[in-house]
Amino acid sequence: MIFSTLEHLLTHISFSVVSIGITIHLITLLVDEIKGLYDSSEKGMIVTVFCLTGLLITRWIYSRHFPLSDLYESLIFLSWSFSIIHRILYFKNHQNHLSTITASSAIFTQGFATSGFLTKLHQSGILVPALQVQWLMMHVSMMVLGYAALLCGSLLSTALLVITFRKVIRIFGKSNNFLNGNESFCFGKIQYMNEKSNVLLNTYFLSARNYYRYQVIQQLDRWSYRIISLGFLFLTIGILSGAVWANEAWGSYWNWDPKETWAFITWTIFGIYLHTRTNTNFEGVNSAIVASLGFLIIWVCYFGVNLLGIGLHSYGSFN
Amino acid sequence: MATVNPVRTPNPSLVRTHCLKTPILHSTFNPQVHTLFNKRITLSFTISSKLKASQDVRKKKENVSRKIVLSDSSPPPLKNDEVSTKVESRGGVIGLVKRLPRRVLSVLSNLPLAIGEMAAIAALMALGTVIEQGEAPDFYFEKYPEDNPVLGFFTWRWILTLGFDHMFSSPIFLGLLVLMGLSLMSCTYTTQIPLVKVARRWNFLHSAEAIRKQEFSDTLPRASIQDLGVILMGAGYEVFLKGPSLYAFKGLVGRFAPIGVHLAMLLIMAGGTLSATGSFRGSVTVPQGLNFVIGDVLGPTGFLSTPTDAFSTEVHVNKFYMDYYDSGEVKQFHTDLSLFDLGGKEVLRKTISVNDPLRYGGITIYQTDWSFSALQILKNDEGPFNLAMAPLKVNGDKKLFGTFLPVGDVNSPNVKGISMLARDLQSIVIYDQEGKFAGVRRPNSKLPIDIDSTKIVIVDAIGSTGLDLKTDPGVPIVYAGFGALMLTTCISYLSHAQIWALQDGTSVIVGGKTNRAKAEFPDDMNRLLDQVPELVESSLSSQSDSISG
Repeated sequence: MIFSTLEHLLTHISFSVVSIGITIHLITLLVDEIKGLYDSSEKGMIVTVFCLTGLLITRWIYSRHFPLSDLYESLIFLSWSFSIIHRILYFKNHQNHLSTITASSAIFTQGFATSGFLTKLHQSGILVPALQVQWLMMHVSMMVLGYAALLCGSLLSTALLVITFRKVIRIFGKSNNFLNGNESFCFGKIQYMNEKSNVLLNTYFLSARNYYRYQVIQQLDRWSYRIISLGFLFLTIGILSGAVWANEAWGSYWNWDPKETWAFITWTIFGIYLHTRTNTNFEGVNSAIVASLGFLIIWVCYFGVNLLGIGLHSYGSFN
Repeated sequence: MATVNPVRTPNPSLVRTHCLKTPILHSTFNPQVHTLFNKRITLSFTISSKLKASQDVRKKKENVSRKIVLSDSSPPPLKNDEVSTKVESRGGVIGLVKRLPRRVLSVLSNLPLAIGEMAAIAALMALGTVIEQGEAPDFYFEKYPEDNPVLGFFTWRWILTLGFDHMFSSPIFLGLLVLMGLSLMSCTYTTQIPLVKVARRWNFLHSAEAIRKQEFSDTLPRASIQDLGVILMGAGYEVFLKGPSLYAFKGLVGRFAPIGVHLAMLLIMAGGTLSATGSFRGSVTVPQGLNFVIGDVLGPTGFLSTPTDAFSTEVHVNKFYMDYYDSGEVKQFHTDLSLFDLGGKEVLRKTISVNDPLRYGGITIYQTDWSFSALQILKNDEGPFNLAMAPLKVNGDKKLFGTFLPVGDVNSPNVKGISMLARDLQSIVIYDQEGKFAGVRRPNSKLPIDIDSTKIVIVDAIGSTGLDLKTDPGVPIVYAGFGALMLTTCISYLSHAQIWALQDGTSVIVGGKTNRAKAEFPDDMNRLLDQVPELVESSLSSQSDSISG
């Protein structure tokens, strides 16, 4: 009883704190930076991290198994991962709009987890025999961490796409000689710049504001690449540890189970993303498109398969 | 090298859209592949040029590209080697034959092709989860009828012709996997290994101009290059110092790791192929107390499957039991197994459970299922009798078993009796002749139940264990591949950073680049450069002495 009250309390604190935090983030994004507000939202995120950690630990203690056995628990873990990634980003790179994306991801998953839609799943159930092993901890935590990192990275890429395409539309909306006139000016210069070939580059040097925008795009690009690489690493470890586990429990390391297959599809898509990064012609917008596609596929993999409740991974289905 | 493309295009948006289309539409590939390929021959490319896919524009901008390639520290000797070998190989018919593998390699190692293959594999896998797998043809006739096709064209003909009813073993899917494997090999051979050769050559940059052209560059006034070297060494860099020039690098292993990733993938594919062609599989349901011979259960899966001596081993099920939660739900299944060789000697005994299989002589026995075999009862203190339990069909996953004990005249046309139902081995629900509920008894409780002066004691509930057996020679190879893949993927996260510096009078010009951690690199560099001590006047003179001397 005490545990469920505690859990209830922690869930609601974390949700409200993260929603206040995101509001403050949006305010700082729209209005120019207000130092005090920004700091308070960061403090809010710290509180969220602690609340979610407390929530997971509470659940661990009273259900006596690692809290990742169904969809609700994995959603809480997902929002915990988002807030951890948020903290890491914050440490690496102070005062950054990137953190808005991680914070808002945290609020959405947390909101969904605590919404009435999943109320039935809130009571922690028992573990089916196949889940009673340490592999659960390794496999599921790695998968969810991987999903969290990949979702963050692909959201950054989506942000890049939004910014870029708004820019491109504006450029092409203007007259053509606007572009041509700058090309000759820029070309001499560009040869000495060891930057990526980007049509946008030409125009970004026009004014300080455009240069700032170019920098934001570059930052988004580089950080999304870095976070997706990290997520890919987690996903690889998660899939492979799952395969080893399946060889112990189900009799084969690969069963073409729908969830397995979709995890592999996700892995392939982000593999494509990483390959597009090795070629400078695909870098930037093209790789961002791939990453945004990956965003959808992660959701199919994470939710869609559970929604249908098919295959061997039907532990966390809606029923 | 790979990350920096020096080629500038006059109209990059055109190239961009072109590249965008190719990975998605597989059919539009071939023309592009050919043009790429022709240009490659006529221009006799350098290794560095192979790394880039924008050959369409290379011709026009070759002067620019060469200029920047040089500044990019591409070593000229390597370039000449490559050109000379190409010239040699261009000699008549023999040359053509010699060139053919090279042509195939260059097509296969093409990046857009590889991306297309990956996308196609991903799409087929997605399709494989959407279309129901392994059903009878009638199912597809009904689900995908010709008069009402899905999306206007997709009917059962497509599914059955292309083998999409068994997607993951269909020729198209397997063919794509083979193609992917070939691409992996050729890419490793033609692109990755030369790339590492280039990356391994460490070279100094002697002009301040070249250093300033790096992605990151800075000038430190009143600093000494030796101090910088010491600080870089402290940060984990390998530092080389020659006169006024410094070259330092870190994380070179991150350049090697992608090769390892590809090799690990190939290893997994090889192991998977061996698994598919050289395995035995089988499953059996054995009542507690009975035996079976392993070889009778196992069936081969492919042409490489060869039985071993261990197949003659006899397995005896000593005991099958379940653990329960307090709420009554099943916690775990256990089967106590003994293995006997041909001579009847016990070679191994183990209690297996889900997640804890038995392994003997390459054979693995898994606990996967269970069933209710028989109910042992005493009827009016006679017996014990074994009543066979039959599985009853109910909706949902929960199992239900039942048996029937006739009472009175067995030969009469409407025989009546006592029915007993059970969901698990824990409790038996008993109904009397009229079908009315009579009571619940646990096996082993020895508590009799009296139904119309028939005394029944439930002595024991005998379960049967559902076992899966397999041999899989591919597992060690696949596991080796898994280990290698995890390790190399981790290492691939490391970024290869290179730093050049030049002592220019009292100031030091520093430039550097990295292949992956481009976001963090400038911050890391600034932090390191902040540590470089500023020289005061007195030591400055000695500094310049040491450099000149």
